[in-house]
Amino acid sequence: MTPVVRMEQITKTYRSVPAVKDVDFDLAEGEIHALLGENGAGKSTLTKVMAGVVTPTSGKMTYLGKEVQFASPHAALQAGIAMVFQETSLVPSMTVAQNLYLGSENFLNRLRGTYISAQQFLQSLNFPVDPAAMVETLGAAKRQMVEIARAVHHKARVIIFDEPTATLTPEEKRHFFALLRRLKAEGVSIVFISHALEEALLISDRITILRDGERVATGPTSEFDRDKIIAAMVGRTLSDEIYRHHDETRLRKPGRKVLSVQDISMGAMVRNTAFSVFEGQITGVFGLIGSGRTETFKIVSGIYKRDFLRGGTIALDDRPVRYYTPAEAVRDGIAYVSEDRKSEGIFETMSIGENMFGGLLAAGKEDGLVIRNSDIRDLAAEWTDRLNIRTINAEAQVVELSGGNQQKVVIGKGLIQKPRIVIFDEPTRGVDVAAIAEIHQIINELADAGLAVVMISSYLPEIMNLSDRILVCRQGRIVEELSPAEATEEKIMYAAVH
Amino acid sequence: MDIGPLSNLKNLNQERIVLIVAVLIFVTASVALPGFLSAPNLIAIVRSISVLGILALGMSVVIIGRGIDLSMVAIMAMSVAWYLQLLGNGVPDHTALLLVLAGVLAIGLLNGFLVAYADVPAIFVTLASGSFVFGYVRSQLISSDAVPVPEGHWVALLGGLRFASIPVEVYLFALLSGAMFLFLRYTKWGRYVYYAGDNPIAARNIGIPVRPMLVLRYVLAALISFVAGLLTAASLHSINTRVVNSNLLYDIVLVAVIGGIGLSGGKGGVRNVLVGAALIGIMLNAMTIIDIPLLYQNLIKSTILLFAIIVDGVLNPRDEQTAQQGDI
Repeated sequence: MTPVVRMEQITKTYRSVPAVKDVDFDLAEGEIHALLGENGAGKSTLTKVMAGVVTPTSGKMTYLGKEVQFASPHAALQAGIAMVFQETSLVPSMTVAQNLYLGSENFLNRLRGTYISAQQFLQSLNFPVDPAAMVETLGAAKRQMVEIARAVHHKARVIIFDEPTATLTPEEKRHFFALLRRLKAEGVSIVFISHALEEALLISDRITILRDGERVATGPTSEFDRDKIIAAMVGRTLSDEIYRHHDETRLRKPGRKVLSVQDISMGAMVRNTAFSVFEGQITGVFGLIGSGRTETFKIVSGIYKRDFLRGGTIALDDRPVRYYTPAEAVRDGIAYVSEDRKSEGIFETMSIGENMFGGLLAAGKEDGLVIRNSDIRDLAAEWTDRLNIRTINAEAQVVELSGGNQQKVVIGKGLIQKPRIVIFDEPTRGVDVAAIAEIHQIINELADAGLAVVMISSYLPEIMNLSDRILVCRQGRIVEELSPAEATEEKIMYAAVH
Repeated sequence: MDIGPLSNLKNLNQERIVLIVAVLIFVTASVALPGFLSAPNLIAIVRSISVLGILALGMSVVIIGRGIDLSMVAIMAMSVAWYLQLLGNGVPDHTALLLVLAGVLAIGLLNGFLVAYADVPAIFVTLASGSFVFGYVRSQLISSDAVPVPEGHWVALLGGLRFASIPVEVYLFALLSGAMFLFLRYTKWGRYVYYAGDNPIAARNIGIPVRPMLVLRYVLAALISFVAGLLTAASLHSINTRVVNSNLLYDIVLVAVIGGIGLSGGKGGVRNVLVGAALIGIMLNAMTIIDIPLLYQNLIKSTILLFAIIVDGVLNPRDEQTAQQGDI
């Protein structure tokens, strides 16, 4: 059988640095092909070549038996190759329906007709999205759904998904996988890029692994398991040392109670929730997207304000506090590491050092009145070393770093403020395997050093392996507390959903 | 590795391009135009851009913090006009000065408050407050379009002040540039401008007082406008309020933007203002000597601005590919 897409000896260099080098790749009709590799391994570049976003430096690509060279993503889309991007490419100020039909509108559009057909289409995909909603009002998961729906709507023969499940809840993931299988049954070929290896193993027919821009392995999924994939991805086996499994004796004992939250409320998102946080341990917070977990802790860190009347109380060391800005919380030693690195975490135009220095300045912990560039450089050198940030030099801009290293910069920016309570919101979203282990290591060390650590995550293995106690959030309140020793994935999910 | 010439090209950002263009025009004009390189003409060039440069300093602080202040020219002209009118009406100098300063502060605070706390886009707030200031002062507080400086008043004396035959506004421009440079680069509040301009949400999250700093910037811009107004009145011995409806405002933005201060915030500094001001000053002077009509001067200015922006866009593309090298 001839493959739908065949890429031969594809090379793409940026400023004479190869991003992919002599990679062969082929995609059969009606198969799900998982493309795995660490950040910077060349997965995105390879698929962008396929989708016409990037022109290869050398190599050739055949599509449906003919050699092609797409000039633009639009040309690729016309030919039947669609790409669902990692960072969503929707128009925020348009409705879901308008986004869905963007570029394929009739000359005259009937708004109502568009909504009705969009409604039907979304329902057929089992996506609970209101077609009349503005995209900017949607959460990350729903945006992703719209993006996927758009690719499906274009009746593409090849759909490339770049990290499609990163923002989805387990429930939504199930729907998504069912959709993938349905597309596959219809003969659509799918390229599936993911950091979640379990998902790749579960859904794919074949797996290709890239490392440093070169293909290191390809073959049917049945030939791979988790360890084999990781070994191929990083070229070594990762130790499981940092993870303390479900063992009662290895859990950290709670220290002093630093934070006690009573019945706080904020509109419909946070409703009468109560919990405590202790020093010297990791409090894992699990909840599906939209369960109010992020909002709850944004209230704690002063980013959101709780309801003024009947808003409940927050006590820090038994002292009631009410923050109106994050600056007050920072001064009291609360650091919040955002889940949305790009829009709430990093300063894009700045270097690693300047990013870090921002944290120091904001906490009022810089020495002297005069800011010297040498201070910033020293800081960058110290923290790139401490957090093992991989960079060409300490003066590199943050945008030049990979996702995992950017995340380390964001974490460092918080840690530099010498907080007593650190709140990590999805600390490993969009981060590659090696960096995940390092970030987990950092989180563990903080708890060992006696800090109160809160880790919000919708990634169950992360919650189960790292937490010393697990809080489960549902519909705006903490509904359950579990010990990792007794918790199972089923128990946590049950609490989160029912 | 053949990145040698390429990386040299990459270093050609907008600021450097504009500097090179400015030097080229300067050299060409020195050779071709008689009298261009004479000391009086050079002083005239610097003097002509001093007030504009001072205004551009205020504007750039606001722009770096991801805002814009369209009320600067109105504040500049109307505050000084009101001040001179009060003096003309026989109000004691210190009372008049205090009143006007309070008014200037109030407008700056109002601008800042509406942008920071009411979340109204800066462009609308300052457009409205500029019109309000012009309308209110012109209709209620002053009696004619142009208000003269009273004979023998310190503002009049200021205009005649020269050190080493260089007028005082040049020194003031230099002084304010230096102060602004030190502020932006070496002080905490100055650095905050960049953090807030680059990513306001992230800045707020790590505990930077984003909103109070925003108010501060608009107040600063208003005060700088007042200083620029005083200098204008000093050199012309009167203030003409019709300047509010001229294209001075666009020249201020032009100086800031052409020097490479990005309108999206977080980028640039005093150096960019100086480079932008130098280019505009040299160009306008050369064109005046050649006697190009004003309409054509505007045409040439806008062409050069477009050219600078296009070249910058070509040399420093801001698409995802180059911006996100890590994610390949």
